[in-house]
Amino acid sequence: MGNNSTHPTAIVRIQRFNPETDAKPHMQEFEVELKPGTTVLDALHEIKTHQDGSLTFRRSCRHAICGSCAMHVNGKNELVCNAPLKERLDRHGRITIRPLPYLPILKDLVVDRSSFWEQYLRVKPWLTPPEDAPEKEFRMSPEEVAALNNAETCIMCGACYSSCQIVGLTKEYIGPHALLKAFLRVMDPRDSIPGERLADLDGTDGVYRCRTIFNCIDACPKNLNPTLAIETLRKLAQKREAFEQARIERQKHLDEPIPAR
Amino acid sequence: MRVFQMQRISAIALVVFLTIHMIVVHYPPFHIDFDQIIIRMADPLWKAIDIVFLFFVLMHALAGAWVVLTDVQRFSRLKRAFAGAAIVIGLIAFYYGTKTIIAFQPPV
Amino acid sequence: MYTSSGFISFALRRLTGVALVVYLFMHLWVIGSVNAGPEAFDARLAFVQQPLFKLLEVALLAAVVYHAIDGIRIIVVHYTGITEYRKSMFYAVLAVSTLLVIAGGVPIIRFMLEGK
Repeated sequence: MGNNSTHPTAIVRIQRFNPETDAKPHMQEFEVELKPGTTVLDALHEIKTHQDGSLTFRRSCRHAICGSCAMHVNGKNELVCNAPLKERLDRHGRITIRPLPYLPILKDLVVDRSSFWEQYLRVKPWLTPPEDAPEKEFRMSPEEVAALNNAETCIMCGACYSSCQIVGLTKEYIGPHALLKAFLRVMDPRDSIPGERLADLDGTDGVYRCRTIFNCIDACPKNLNPTLAIETLRKLAQKREAFEQARIERQKHLDEPIPAR
Repeated sequence: MRVFQMQRISAIALVVFLTIHMIVVHYPPFHIDFDQIIIRMADPLWKAIDIVFLFFVLMHALAGAWVVLTDVQRFSRLKRAFAGAAIVIGLIAFYYGTKTIIAFQPPV
Repeated sequence: MYTSSGFISFALRRLTGVALVVYLFMHLWVIGSVNAGPEAFDARLAFVQQPLFKLLEVALLAAVVYHAIDGIRIIVVHYTGITEYRKSMFYAVLAVSTLLVIAGGVPIIRFMLEGK
């Protein structure tokens, strides 16, 4: 490796922090070969394997589906396994990798995501089917699926949560990730407690804490839209009872085939 | 009523009132003195408009200040105290401002 | 720190908002002097119509205009759900605010220089 290589190299600047020896985080530079197809995660692996085994980061699937490797790359949150290293280099051939912002750093690129999961549990992220659920499959119309706006594809990577300045100000805010999940459950015709959910979200820690900064949309690696989900929840919270009533009516026909259009 | 709704309603009202206020009172700029204001303020309709304007301005300003403060986590346990202070300040300022608007009488 | 056009708009909105709250109470105090009679009113107004205050007035105008136009943007987002043009909308807010501040600020500066 190194000097006799014909490959060009990239300079990877990584924010390091060892809680046992460091008072505060500092930047460290590494040089890695820029082979075709190298992702940012590959560069981190290269450094950990051949240059500094103490480098700590989270990763798992390498296919942008597990949500472990979200990091702050060049000032933007993204999944490093899905980011081509070459495209992330500036004109000096450098890339800067930091841990997710606004969260406590445990070590190097690993952050404490407890508040992320605590807020997630607050919105009851599970589906609550009606009690007299029929022993058949539930049917949703294409319109009902479209209204979910792909929210079910969220991988819980934390990129949106840690891009939000309001999360930076207060960890009492439920956060874009959990509000998106709440939106998914509220919009789901199979869920029987949308009124209760909307009542829980209808507070200063919920949908009204969002300041419409849009960072969550920019950060989402799955191109989801938490801001629009929050705006929708705000509107639904205004007409909660009518929405709840419409859901009760809808659930009388859950196992019936969807009429052709 | 939620602070959010208060901000929305007063914001929309302010866009209207502030546009009127800026055009009528401050554009084009001139050296403001008592005599010029008194001509407009002699009309009770202007007094009414200004009192409603004052109400929405105070609502928006104090609700906004409350939001800015309570967005910071360490202040959130004081949110009731801040809300109480905002209501008291709002009432005093509204009383004082209304008194001021009514004080613009031609023969002072 | 996560900088973006959304964060800049948010920070400016907060900053101008806090400045305007401070201004509002100063404004109430100045206008409130009418309770003490026209002489007191004209005296206090004369104090705040010095050249320095004219420059501050331009800053005040900029704060009001930006806060208002950016607020309209947020209301539009809320009622229409437009999020894909978020960056263009912010730049449009900046452009419209700049135009309005020039339209209102030039007469103020001219008034300051010429006194009429």
